[in-house]
Amino acid sequence: MKYEELEDRMDQNLVHVRYNVEIEGPAIKPEEDDDVISILPTKEPFKSIALAVLYEDRDASLNNVQKALNDGISPIEIINDGLMKGMDAVNVLYTKGFYFLPDLMLAGDGMMEGVKECEKVLGHKSETKGTAVSFVAEGDPHDIGKNLVVMFLRAGGYEAIDMGRDVPTTEVVKAVKEYKPILLTGTALMTTTMTVFPKVVAALQKEGLEVPAIGCGGGAVRKDFVESFPMSVYGVEAYHAPRLADAIVKDHKTWKDIRKEYTNIVGEFVSEYS
Amino acid sequence: MKRFTKMAYKDPDEMVFGRAKYPTSQRWNTQIGAGYVVPEIKVAPVEGSEESKEQMVSECRNITQSACERAVSIGLPAFMLEQEHIFQQTNNPGWTADCTQAQAEILERYHDEYDIRVSLMATPADIRIEERHPGLRGSDYDNKVMESIEASAANGASCVSIETMGGKSVSDYGIARGDPKAILFGIGVLGSIDMEYMWKRIVDVCKKYDCRPAGDTDCAQANTAMFMAGGLLDKDCSHTLAALTRAIAGARSLVAVECGAIGPLKDCGYENPIIKSISGVPICMEGKNAVCAHSDLMGNLTASVCDVWSNESVYHRQEMGGTTPEVWLQATGYEAALMNTAHQTGQEKTLRDLYTLTDKYRDPQALVLAYDNAHRIGEAIVKYGKNPYLRSRAAALEAGAIINEAVDAKKMYLTRFERDSLDSALKIFEELPTDSEQFIDECLRKYSRKIAEFDPKSYEL
Ligand code: B12
Repeated sequence: MKYEELEDRMDQNLVHVRYNVEIEGPAIKPEEDDDVISILPTKEPFKSIALAVLYEDRDASLNNVQKALNDGISPIEIINDGLMKGMDAVNVLYTKGFYFLPDLMLAGDGMMEGVKECEKVLGHKSETKGTAVSFVAEGDPHDIGKNLVVMFLRAGGYEAIDMGRDVPTTEVVKAVKEYKPILLTGTALMTTTMTVFPKVVAALQKEGLEVPAIGCGGGAVRKDFVESFPMSVYGVEAYHAPRLADAIVKDHKTWKDIRKEYTNIVGEFVSEYS
Repeated sequence: MKRFTKMAYKDPDEMVFGRAKYPTSQRWNTQIGAGYVVPEIKVAPVEGSEESKEQMVSECRNITQSACERAVSIGLPAFMLEQEHIFQQTNNPGWTADCTQAQAEILERYHDEYDIRVSLMATPADIRIEERHPGLRGSDYDNKVMESIEASAANGASCVSIETMGGKSVSDYGIARGDPKAILFGIGVLGSIDMEYMWKRIVDVCKKYDCRPAGDTDCAQANTAMFMAGGLLDKDCSHTLAALTRAIAGARSLVAVECGAIGPLKDCGYENPIIKSISGVPICMEGKNAVCAHSDLMGNLTASVCDVWSNESVYHRQEMGGTTPEVWLQATGYEAALMNTAHQTGQEKTLRDLYTLTDKYRDPQALVLAYDNAHRIGEAIVKYGKNPYLRSRAAALEAGAIINEAVDAKKMYLTRFERDSLDSALKIFEELPTDSEQFIDECLRKYSRKIAEFDPKSYEL
């Protein structure tokens, strides 16, 4: 029988189901989502500033911020009550499945553009919740996961120092000395590069350095391996990174606590072998 | 350099697994694409083996020995072992030499003793780093890659392949932001330029030895899109955009063949069916028996026109059924046996069609790789065969048309996100300049400003 005839005979639903299509709800406007409403500021100019971020409109974001600055609004308020609120709303929509990674990236670009304008007026870097350092293990070129981690940390209000990929362990140690991060994140995708993590820990210990936690993640990395040496926690999803950082900054959690309370901290069930 | 402007296969129905228009023959009496499918096994070295050359050589020896033992104990007529080298092996070509030699020795011993057809594909790592001076060309790392290719060829590899990553800085940016123009530029233009630079040299090295230049894969780019696209419920990259990205990769990975590679093209190049339709070279593919390595949405479909069937990669460790080289070679071995039985009984086209139909409408990424559609994309590519930019653009537009037709026929269903990103990508592609220079100028201006890692000098632009 010919291919086309075979094809026309098939009841696809008994072979595969596109669940993403099946479960799709009605289209909504982002600003009409209940959770977004509770986050978005109601007063101007903050409302427009937040909305421009939500709509991923880089130019509008910039214009709004410049206008507000000219009107004498404090740059700190613009960041905290406008730009960051917009980004919080974007994060909510991503977690709920309405927004996708490109939305996050573009909204993040818009937000950063606005923050830079504010910093020009401030004359210095704006306050962040804390500094994190992110690297990809020495010998490993896989950096997509790390890029996501950096992006989520920044969107979550942290300064994230991006050390790139294939980062020598000595450089990681130097960065810890220089930035005293509240969280160090390492990514490795190969069996033969995840072995770098315990080396980083040993090198830090040798220098008498400590960080509250080293989040170790990436394709090949296994939880049992990560928990076989100190200072480390196993990281599952890139968007967990700011939640781990929050737990450290707000609740003073250490790597020991995070290992035990991971599911609570990230706010979703994570299976043992993820 | 020759460019393809005609199809090797006039009719997609001629394409089938186990048979290629231009089969290749290798040492140890192995032919690829000559009427039978060869199972492939690939195992990642265990943690800690990167510490010293001795440990790595011993690791490679163990993997090879296990695979050979299982192959003869279950009666496989042929198999291919691929070794993907890690950073330390490529950075130390002496390691490559010794590892390859150890593997070749064992394979040869089994070939001599049992007359089993064996093949060793060596895959040095592309360890070049664009953002580190002097970039992709002429760096120490660049030299090490070439030395490792030579060390593989000189020490008994049947063939060499590589996953080159030119253009990745730009395509990564495009994939994360859903920017189709950056994807087209990063893969179709920059990727093609870099492949030409790499593959002319690889082919020259291979000519000196009894070693075939096999092929490349767009793992660094199209697979990045595919992995980000993930499963049906993931939210990182649109599956329609990933499908267009795959079509563009077809135009890019073809460059290896244009430079003299003869196959089998490397397993993780999901774009390979497109290249087979254009060039007639045999291809490795992976799908359901690579679940140990990753998940995809076309586990059967990818087998339909393969010549080598791979497990992609697995940790080296013990499973209940044996060590992983044993277990996973057994999995690919039995699947190849099914395909070979189909050939022997004249049922190969039926099996091919069943493989295809199980996944064709599971996802747009699968749809564009169904062999009839892969052939259509191939035709779009050869129409503009001489120009890497125009043929990549044509591939993307054709893939878009294929998806849209299936949607209209109510066979393919899309989410709003998939629908919207497809519409906007196609609109962008349609409006792009038809002049290559103009496109490149625009992209250089836009992306060298936005992407810190992107270095036009690495592409002589
Ligand atoms: C794309 C890819 C490449 C691209 C990389 C492009 C890039 N910019 O990164 C390229 C082509 C360059 C590449 C090269 C190689 N690759 Co590769 N590659 C992949 C692939 C297909 C996808 C990886 C990926 O990006 N995943 C998506 C990202 C988002 O996932 P992720 O990084 O894991 O991050 C997620 C989580 O882990 C988490 N996360 C990560 N870090 C952290 C940190 C914290 C704190 C937290 C909370 C979370 C977190 O967040 C993300 C999810 O939200 C995988 C296949 C696979 N199954 O993974 C192979 C794979 C990783 N590669 C592999 C290999 C062997 C190689 C090569 C050595 C092959 C070769 N010989 O050429 C070379 C490396 C060469 C070298 N220099 O050494 C093997 C590794 C096997 C092993 N276990 O050792 C894999 C598994 C493929 C396979 N099965 O064979 N590769």
